Amino acid sequence: MQPFKEIEKAFEAKYPQYDLRMEYHGSIQVMRHVTDLHEPIDIVATADQALIPMLMYATNDPATGKPYANWYASMATNKLAIAYQAKSKYADEITAENWWQILSRPDVRVGLSDPRFDAVGYRQLMVFALAQALYGNDQIFNDFLEGQFTRPINLVDLGDMLIIRIPEILETTGSAHLVMRGSSIALNALLEAGEIDYAFEYESVIKQQGFEMLNLPAELNLGDEAHEANYRRVTVKLDFRRFASVEPVFNGELIRYGLTIPESSPNPEGAARFFAFFYGEDGQKIMADNHHPLIRPIEGDHLELMPDALKGLTGD
Amino acid sequence: MKKQKLPELFVVAAVLLVIFVILPILLTFASTSATNLFETLIDPEVARSIGLTFLAAGIASALGVLMGLPLAYILARRDFSGKGLIEGLIDLPLIIPHTAAGIALLMVFGRQGVLGKLVRPLGLFFVDTLAGVVVGMLFVSIPLLVNAARDAFKAVDSDLEQSARVDGASAWKVFLTITLPLAWRGVVSGVITMWARGISEFGAVAILAYSPKIVPVLIYEKFQGFGLKAATPIAAILLVIVVLVFFVLRSLAGAIDD
Repeated sequence: MQPFKEIEKAFEAKYPQYDLRMEYHGSIQVMRHVTDLHEPIDIVATADQALIPMLMYATNDPATGKPYANWYASMATNKLAIAYQAKSKYADEITAENWWQILSRPDVRVGLSDPRFDAVGYRQLMVFALAQALYGNDQIFNDFLEGQFTRPINLVDLGDMLIIRIPEILETTGSAHLVMRGSSIALNALLEAGEIDYAFEYESVIKQQGFEMLNLPAELNLGDEAHEANYRRVTVKLDFRRFASVEPVFNGELIRYGLTIPESSPNPEGAARFFAFFYGEDGQKIMADNHHPLIRPIEGDHLELMPDALKGLTGD
Repeated sequence: MKKQKLPELFVVAAVLLVIFVILPILLTFASTSATNLFETLIDPEVARSIGLTFLAAGIASALGVLMGLPLAYILARRDFSGKGLIEGLIDLPLIIPHTAAGIALLMVFGRQGVLGKLVRPLGLFFVDTLAGVVVGMLFVSIPLLVNAARDAFKAVDSDLEQSARVDGASAWKVFLTITLPLAWRGVVSGVITMWARGISEFGAVAILAYSPKIVPVLIYEKFQGFGLKAATPIAAILLVIVVLVFFVLRSLAGAIDD
């Protein structure tokens, strides 16, 4: 979020004819604003590129009958880590080996971004599921979540396959030490206020916010290519009975942010200009300065379907 | 009463305004299918949320009466330096954005907050608790009660209070037997408005106590997570209940007055 504020400023300085209007939501929400609310949006960026095919390729714009998107560019990678403050409980004790024990203590307040709406949330659950094999303890997931929700989040651990099921209604119990919010952005504020002790966040965001950071082992941080086969063992399913146009399933994989221009973009020319700026020198520099370097040259899905104006960008 | 001639444009403006208010509410119903409405009606999550919302707003209003009426009475009966300042400060919750109010409340009532720290040993927490919901509602709605009650107390002739005092009644007795009964209508109207405002609060409560979910938070969550189809039936049901309760309370207040 932070780099995008700088991007906005730089872009508007370079192209004063444009007023870039940013909205920040949980990863799934940004797409719903296009596909469900039919808002006129020119650029969609999400922390999980897999959501773009799942939610945008699969949904047709009733106005044109065409899918909301048919390509995306991979934007950047990231790693999941634990954010905390020096005053957080057991801050002097926590390590990359014992974090799961500390986060399960009832007197430790832990943030959880709503896994139904935000990628940090379901990725955090994936980390706990994957941790069971790494630390040789099949109760890690359960110890962390037991008694926290009015309807439980369940894990089926089949060894080479881990399935997490999230109920449609997710509400913390009165005695929960988990604090859930709709997006990780809201949790950062609670962490700052000392209301929670720990929250899962992306490394780039933790650095941008200046929190203390506990790096997770490569087997768990969802950001190390060498371990992608391990990440792929885990799947998160949402048990939605009603209202869902798409049955969401999230697969464990490398964290990759994605970017696309929706078919319904009312200003595709401006969107293309932004896209070029973002992947150009200015954008690259701002992102790198914010600990979130862009993937260059551009990779992605069905890049041949990108607007012609952008195709020159993929060559370098 | 003799019919008085009104400027025609007033009628046009008035009709437009009524349409402006009614149309979104009507559309909320029109866009809700009967099946959706029924499913929502029997959804225990929705029922629980409605109960919680009414309860929390009720507690907030009760606290508002306990703390707000004394202040309203003082403001109505006494002139002192700084009175204007206090009246202005009391109105602040009406002016500041409620998300900002929520953050401010977090600073006070959070675990590390000024008051939150003090009451923590008692096991009283405000983030994600009923107490937090009440605090959020109380903060944003208390000015409505204080202002309404102050105006109602002001309208009571202070000579009546004086003569009762001369007859030997205590200040308490005068307040309870003379002032309050005479100001009753205004005070009750203030309480109802405060309660209604509490029910409709989103911003401050969502920051301090996202859960347990009051109806405005639930509507927002359904809208965000499941789209309009999931959100509108809840909004429609809340609307009906609020209108009914409002109507009953108002007519009760009217009946007592008569």
